[in-house]
Amino acid sequence: MIEVLKPGLLDLVMDQGRPGFRAQGVPEGGAADAPALMLANRLVGNPERAAGLELLLRGPALRFPEGGRIALSGADMRARCGDAMLPRGRTLEIPPGGVLELAQADKGLRAYLAVAGGIEAPPVLGSRATFLPSGFGGWQGRALRAGDMLPTGAPQGHRQGVLTFPRAKSALRILPGPQLPAFADAALQALTARTFAVGPDANRLGLRLAGPALAYRGGELASQAVLPGAIQVPPDGQPIILGWDGPVTGGYPVLAAVIAADLPRLGQLRPGDRLAFAFVTLAEAQAAWRKHERDLDEAIAWAA
Amino acid sequence: MSDRGLCLAAGSASLALYQRLLEARLPGVAELVPADGSLLLVLAPGAPLPAGLMTLLEEVLDGHSGAPGAPASEHRIAVRFDGDDLAEVAARAGQAAESLARLLCSLTLRVKFLGFQPGFAYLEGLPAQLHLPRRARPRKTVPAGSVALAGGYCGIYPAAGPGGWHLIGSTDVPLFDPAASRPTRFLPGDLVRLVAA
Repeated sequence: MIEVLKPGLLDLVMDQGRPGFRAQGVPEGGAADAPALMLANRLVGNPERAAGLELLLRGPALRFPEGGRIALSGADMRARCGDAMLPRGRTLEIPPGGVLELAQADKGLRAYLAVAGGIEAPPVLGSRATFLPSGFGGWQGRALRAGDMLPTGAPQGHRQGVLTFPRAKSALRILPGPQLPAFADAALQALTARTFAVGPDANRLGLRLAGPALAYRGGELASQAVLPGAIQVPPDGQPIILGWDGPVTGGYPVLAAVIAADLPRLGQLRPGDRLAFAFVTLAEAQAAWRKHERDLDEAIAWAA
Repeated sequence: MSDRGLCLAAGSASLALYQRLLEARLPGVAELVPADGSLLLVLAPGAPLPAGLMTLLEEVLDGHSGAPGAPASEHRIAVRFDGDDLAEVAARAGQAAESLARLLCSLTLRVKFLGFQPGFAYLEGLPAQLHLPRRARPRKTVPAGSVALAGGYCGIYPAAGPGGWHLIGSTDVPLFDPAASRPTRFLPGDLVRLVAA
């Protein structure tokens, strides 16, 4: 059991998402920095798809009446329990009645909390991920509030692990989108030669960027299916990177799309951060995914 | 669409291709998402293109789609023709509101694809005089159950939300229930008839 004493800015129950319902208009959703939650789950002996908490910018204060084994990953919210500072990326024990307090992150945007046994919110369409736009999944389809009591499952395993997960700081790698040929040469040039700032309204639906205007020369477009990471360009020329809870179809031209291996990095971008893009080939994107999976496999060192 | 999706511009064959690929269950294809004249294959990242895909595409696009797909479900949706834009839409179509309602009830609409919000179906089959662009100024909130027209489609809002379509009526029929085993009432290819409530 976890009791919410004081909520953070936006605390959401998340897992690895609900694939399989896009044709019915339901996006996959799930943790924005999916590997961060996956690795935190591994540190506490959970299945990778177990539900934990996704915490935005400033974390909550949580009480563990029976104690519990936890792990934190993603952005550093300078967690403490009583007088003790709690490091990220380690298996930790919270004593019975202990209070976990999380502050504001100086870097990155989202922290993840896994608790042994997982958060036992009722699954909806096969997932416990909160889907705020329609208000279902997660904990009553909403962000956590003071007084919420979250049930947790039976813990498994008891190993102690330490996490090392390298995060590239280079340009976000992209592949051409379906409408790329209809963009002006200057737009393609600007996309890779210039940098873009993450705008103030960046959320789980999408990240609006500010930078050079990207001119589209094509005609009106029929709705097409889109995926998180798609770089859509509305008529004002300021690109939007589609987020995890974004609609499954869209009518804006898609200039390019962030490769699967780099998609989780979007989850840590905060308003004002600057980013650059670099085109890669499909073979390079696939190689990057295989490296991403290897890094995940080797991310945790277990105590003997 | 990145290394997770293959977007096929299949034009009018999109729905047939969607249904054929659903049956084929090609390994490596995680999801199929039909849209307006295109179909997205959601793939496992890092995986090669599914074997057999090219043969299947050629079959469908040549019109030899093999065995016919499962018969489409038909839905009758009771609608009150009480939308705020009904009079304006009727005027633009050169009709009285009553005859517009009769015209809409005489049509067999078909679900082309879903999108915009969970359970929102794009219904095709409107006559040309009802192909209207979206409203110049979208509404901040459109009530759940609103029946609306825009862009050559009829749509019914499963939940309240912002909307730029012309509102012609309303229904009480629930269209999206995430707790149900089949969460959406309409699936691509289904037939829909409006019935005056």
